[in-house]
Amino acid sequence: MADPLVEFDGVDKFFGETHVLEDIDLAIEEREVVVVIGPSGSGKSTLLRCVNRLEEIRNGDIRLDGRSVLEADVNEVRQQVGMVFQSFNLFPHKSALGNVALAPKKIRGLPEDDAEDRARELLDRVGLGDQTDSYPDALSGGQQQRVAIARALAMDPKVMLFDEVTSALDPELVGEVLDVIEGLAADGMTMVLVTHEMGFAREVGDRIVLMADGRVVEVNDSEAFFERPDTERGRQFLSRLL
Amino acid sequence: MATQTDSESGTGGVMMRDRFVKRLGEVAAAGFLVAIGGLLVWILSTQVNYTLLASPLIAGRFAEAFVLVLRIVVVSSLLSVSFGVMVGLGRISTSGITGRIAKGYVEFFRGTPLLFQLFVIYFGVPRLWATGQFPIQDWAVPAAIIGLTLNHAAYVGEAIRGGISAVPDGQMEAARSLGMSRVMALREVVLPQAWRNALAAIGNDQIILVKDTSLLTVIAVPEIMSVFRNINSNQLDPWTPLVWVCVLYLAITMSMSQLVNGLERRSDWGSDSGMWGRLSSGSSDADGGDG
Repeated sequence: MADPLVEFDGVDKFFGETHVLEDIDLAIEEREVVVVIGPSGSGKSTLLRCVNRLEEIRNGDIRLDGRSVLEADVNEVRQQVGMVFQSFNLFPHKSALGNVALAPKKIRGLPEDDAEDRARELLDRVGLGDQTDSYPDALSGGQQQRVAIARALAMDPKVMLFDEVTSALDPELVGEVLDVIEGLAADGMTMVLVTHEMGFAREVGDRIVLMADGRVVEVNDSEAFFERPDTERGRQFLSRLL
Repeated sequence: MATQTDSESGTGGVMMRDRFVKRLGEVAAAGFLVAIGGLLVWILSTQVNYTLLASPLIAGRFAEAFVLVLRIVVVSSLLSVSFGVMVGLGRISTSGITGRIAKGYVEFFRGTPLLFQLFVIYFGVPRLWATGQFPIQDWAVPAAIIGLTLNHAAYVGEAIRGGISAVPDGQMEAARSLGMSRVMALREVVLPQAWRNALAAIGNDQIILVKDTSLLTVIAVPEIMSVFRNINSNQLDPWTPLVWVCVLYLAITMSMSQLVNGLERRSDWGSDSGMWGRLSSGSSDADGGDG
């Protein structure tokens, strides 16, 4: 197999004195779906946010497609990494179409028509082809999050990061967002997800990464992890879910 | 049982008191209206000389002053808002030096009277040249525009800064994580929202700018108040020119607040377009649920 698409190499991160990521080694292959789970405060979101340098690390290296993200231009790195947030963060002054078309138009310099055609395709792909002109205020949480996914896809990223994207949703709206993510997985998108939806993690994840206290404590195939985890911490974590 | 009755009668008492306060307010407001209205009618019918009011001499001088004030307002307004945006951006700059300079600017121009600033510019600045060497002949109007601009840019800057800090951090983060530079993210995502947040405060400040032109009478700008003072001392009749003064200022300030209202409505992407969107998205949600 070729080089991993995303590779953590001895990553250390501190918030002040607190060691929030401790010596992380992790390789994510192309077309792989990796789900990061673990108790709150274990460093899952921080791990994700280091990939596109929303957080800076102290030691170690993170490579994207073989190149260190620390040495590359930060904006260039971020254009190759799509990110979806727990709180959607849609731009309220832009329609759904405007949200998706903005970055390709402004960063890539794509002509308005091309950017909007592409945005329409992407909104169609997340099942919102009929909401292109709606403003975020007029959309449900599930719809907003799907627009946010389309927006992240618009820059044709190599990898998508999902940071607890269903945690702020009403339970009946979670399904529509997970369906979209599943669709992306089926299309071969490389993805790293932080989630509390264990059923979904098991279903869509190729591999599970269990974190605790800033460390990766177990990396395992999804089925294997949920059937018979290798570590004591894994067993403990699963038993608390029941 | 006893406590329940107590609390019920207590609630009833509060409600009675609320209604009483409301009635009292209505009576006070109506009394105020009758008193002021009566006084106004009395002044307008006994104190105002309508022949003088409509005489071409007076009307003409007020019209001239009005046009001058309007021009000063338009220029100072455009300049102070543009410069104020820069001050606001300076206040949130990640560069310490820019931030401190912007802060110092705001502290100075908010912390000293506009009249002092006008004196510095009108009397002080020309003295920096040797006597008679100051190159600008009619310095009063330029000095007025500079003074009003510098002063109100400080207030606009603070309004913009407030507008920016009211935009959630997630907006900047989302824009940056798409790969936008900080400047692009500010321009495309944060500032349009900050502008809407700041619009009411900026409009408020610009209305104060209009009224601040009345101070220009002390640096020899032939504006509305100076016309009043001339006419009053010539005719010994304050009320007739005061009617003009009142009408002219209100003409500018009221059209300005209309303009601000219009701008606010236009940038209200949330609720106006939102309501229709919400109705149609409601139906599509139902469709989605069936499917």
